[in-house]
Amino acid sequence: MVDAARHPKIDVRTYTNVERVEGYVGNFKVQLREKARLVDVDRCNGCGECAKVCPIEVPNYFEMNLAPRKAAYVAMSQSVPLKYTIDEEACIHCYKCVEACGPLDAIDFSQEDKVVWEDIGSIVVATGFNHFDPSVIPEYGYGRFPNVITAMEMERLNNSAGPTVGNLIRPGDGKNPQRLAIINCVGSRDKRFNPWCSNFCCMYAIKNAVLLKQANPEMEISIYYIDIRTPSKGYEEFYERARGMGIHFIQGRPSLITQDDNTGNLFVHSEDVALGRVIEKEYDMVMLNQAAVPQPDVDTVSSVLNISQSPGGWFMEYHPKLRPVDSPTDGIFLAGACQGQKDIPASVSSGLACASRAGRILHSDEWQIEPIIAQVWEDRCISAQGKQCGLCAKACPYGAITVETGKAAQVTTAKCHGCGGCVAECPHNAITQMHFTDAQILAQIRALLAEKPEEKIFAFRCQWCSYGGADLAGTSHFDYSANERGIRVMCSARMDSDFIYEAFRLGAGAVLYSGCHPQDCHYITGQRVGATRADRLMKAFEKMGMSPGRFRVEWISAAEGDKYSRVINEMQETLNAIGPEKLHEENEMLRPEMEKRARRMYEVPLVTEASDYSDEMRQAMSDMEEPHGS
Amino acid sequence: MEAEHPMTFADQVRAIPGGEHLEMCFSCGTCVSKCMIQQKLEPEYNPRRLLRMVMMDMREEAFKSPTTWLCSACDLCYPACPQEIHISGVIGAVKSLAVEAGYTSPLETVSVDETLCSGCGICVMTCPYEAPHLIEKEVNGVMDRFSEVDKDKCMGCGMCVAACPMGAIARPGVSNPELVNQIKIKKHKDAPSLVVFICDWSLRADDDLAILESYPENVRVIHIPCSGRIDPQMALIALRSGIDGVLVCGCAPGECHYQRGTYVSACKINLLDSMLGQMDLADGRVRFVQLGTQDRGRIRHEIDSMLAGLQREAA
Repeated sequence: MVDAARHPKIDVRTYTNVERVEGYVGNFKVQLREKARLVDVDRCNGCGECAKVCPIEVPNYFEMNLAPRKAAYVAMSQSVPLKYTIDEEACIHCYKCVEACGPLDAIDFSQEDKVVWEDIGSIVVATGFNHFDPSVIPEYGYGRFPNVITAMEMERLNNSAGPTVGNLIRPGDGKNPQRLAIINCVGSRDKRFNPWCSNFCCMYAIKNAVLLKQANPEMEISIYYIDIRTPSKGYEEFYERARGMGIHFIQGRPSLITQDDNTGNLFVHSEDVALGRVIEKEYDMVMLNQAAVPQPDVDTVSSVLNISQSPGGWFMEYHPKLRPVDSPTDGIFLAGACQGQKDIPASVSSGLACASRAGRILHSDEWQIEPIIAQVWEDRCISAQGKQCGLCAKACPYGAITVETGKAAQVTTAKCHGCGGCVAECPHNAITQMHFTDAQILAQIRALLAEKPEEKIFAFRCQWCSYGGADLAGTSHFDYSANERGIRVMCSARMDSDFIYEAFRLGAGAVLYSGCHPQDCHYITGQRVGATRADRLMKAFEKMGMSPGRFRVEWISAAEGDKYSRVINEMQETLNAIGPEKLHEENEMLRPEMEKRARRMYEVPLVTEASDYSDEMRQAMSDMEEPHGS
Repeated sequence: MEAEHPMTFADQVRAIPGGEHLEMCFSCGTCVSKCMIQQKLEPEYNPRRLLRMVMMDMREEAFKSPTTWLCSACDLCYPACPQEIHISGVIGAVKSLAVEAGYTSPLETVSVDETLCSGCGICVMTCPYEAPHLIEKEVNGVMDRFSEVDKDKCMGCGMCVAACPMGAIARPGVSNPELVNQIKIKKHKDAPSLVVFICDWSLRADDDLAILESYPENVRVIHIPCSGRIDPQMALIALRSGIDGVLVCGCAPGECHYQRGTYVSACKINLLDSMLGQMDLADGRVRFVQLGTQDRGRIRHEIDSMLAGLQREAA
């Protein structure tokens, strides 16, 4: 960190918030708020005279509030840069610090927040994680029993630079504990709070136990665990070493901690799973190994940077295996535990990966993107005719479209990821998506429904999830109805209402509208755009008198091949139950309405041509279909 | 398809409402240690193992296991389970399969004396387990209503014994005469006398039980299966026999081993206390306390403060 601060090309800005991010990969404009620290950083030399004379003491967050700090403070003694800050909320304006600072004259009470804009090529997010607060678990008594502490408190109490100078004492009475229980999985692997395994706590518990045992060999240390997870290189060996040192490992998750009010000692109730017996053991001190949870301000950060969150609140990567440090927005990368719970080696690796990913952008003059971007036909856009619209901009998850009344909507190509949501949302068909044009998709629909449409189940699948699900169903040999015909679009947001109307107009038996689960959407909020439209369609079809089950909306992940085959089979059953005569009747009844609704589609250039096939082509297609039978 | 794969034991359990989520168990042991049955009653009791038996298709062992029969569905373990498995629901599912297979409960249960039963049905309303139900049968040529107890459902808490206005229900060990016989105290000249009715489940730790034994003869401790077993009559009998105070200890709300015994008894005893107040009798002669699982050592404080209060009244 010190090296980084001294590097001529690295500019470290502390006590600064990122408030807005505009632009796109390689060309971000970032608004920073440099908060007033009431100290001139150029003059402050970090001597600490101001803190010495400051009469105000407040709890020290860095010391887990186990020790005080002054109103003039540095977060910790290793802070980089070592510049003091005056906590304005705590300060009583006695100005003793000004006096103590003397000729340096670094303290400046007139300082105000400074807002600056910077040009940035790429952004690395490394906001880290937070600790779960165990006081919400009543059975462990944290907050009520003074000698029940958290892992971070233990970290400070056992640190030679900590508030006790490394002398481990009980907060209750200041005695040195001789019997210590460490409880793992506090708030993690617990569906009441966080379902995930926090990844590093097993090793962390063992590390603390080994450190304490080395310093006090006669200390009795027990680690309560559900499973000990030591999967990386050298970890199992470390675990073995801890066992060799005489640390007790008790398999069993404690259900209750009680306190003897006279001695302050704690009784841990658990089952010893190896014995199959309930044990109650007395300890001087209990350490709760809390879960890793996302930072409390993840929502703000994700909305400023426009990056999505996985379930639970961790920032979502572009692809969990192949692009683990990229965010869904080009040029923004995720380092360390903000993306998910990680230990130190994993955090370092992801940090290095981010540096190289970001460097790649900074070193290139051009940036390649997928060619499936959206384009606006300016003559069709009603905004250009001075009318208010902006539906496309509303649908775009990346903020790539700007709409000004009087001008045609504009797509910032570098920001467009090609979900196609704007294309489907535009009520005037003024936007097209390259390689997924309306004409191309309609041609596919027409071709697939050319023969015996009423027997067919037509599936719209999104590239990232339900298409993968259908593929998995195939490779896993899950049987599903042979009447299914499907096409692929990039996102459920691209599934235009017109396509559905057209499919039913052509007489399709059933239509499946499928995409990612909401939290898995590859295009941040694309699924939501699709889902809202699907809801609207569902209601419209209901009103028109379509039999329920003929239009179906399902969110299917790439891992749910079984669900895909089940859904298709259920739809087949629905069709069987309705029966061909009633289906035919219903289609005839619905056709005029469908024609009316799909009519606008034919105003789009190229659509009519693409959907008109010659007789020879139809013949060729039915010839191809016959050998498979249906 | 279904004919090829007959239902496994686990499938059968899952099919019964309450038996779902069975396979979510990762054997952490929280339920076992949260429950007090293993410590207090039966070393072989282990819900985690019962779930395992179901998953491993060990039907007979599961039916014979004491876990199947002893769980009283207090649901102390349910809110603590990290996998949110409704364990008593799963055990209940196993139990109903066991009953279907012809197994019967080995528990000490209540019995109804039909010569006393009036068929009022109060026991039916009181029981948390739906064990008693009313039947009609002919006695001496007259159709009459009686209460009958389903032995496989009864957990033996004794709430119905306390509730029965006719004294027609008894449970061996804690029937009315047996309890009354225990209310006998050698009176001490200076110290007030106190009867403590203590629910067996409200004290978790051994040192708490040791506290009870540390008191001299003027404090009489009577163990009962549930505070719901105590009716106000019992307290009145004690007071009439010259005893100064009655303390009833039950579990904390939500922790009652028999679901609502502590609630029922708290209502009754607190009502009695206020009635005694209206009769201008001294305050604090009858008291109900609810001891939680984390209230280690509180029993000493409660008894001492009760004794001190009675002493003050006497002075």
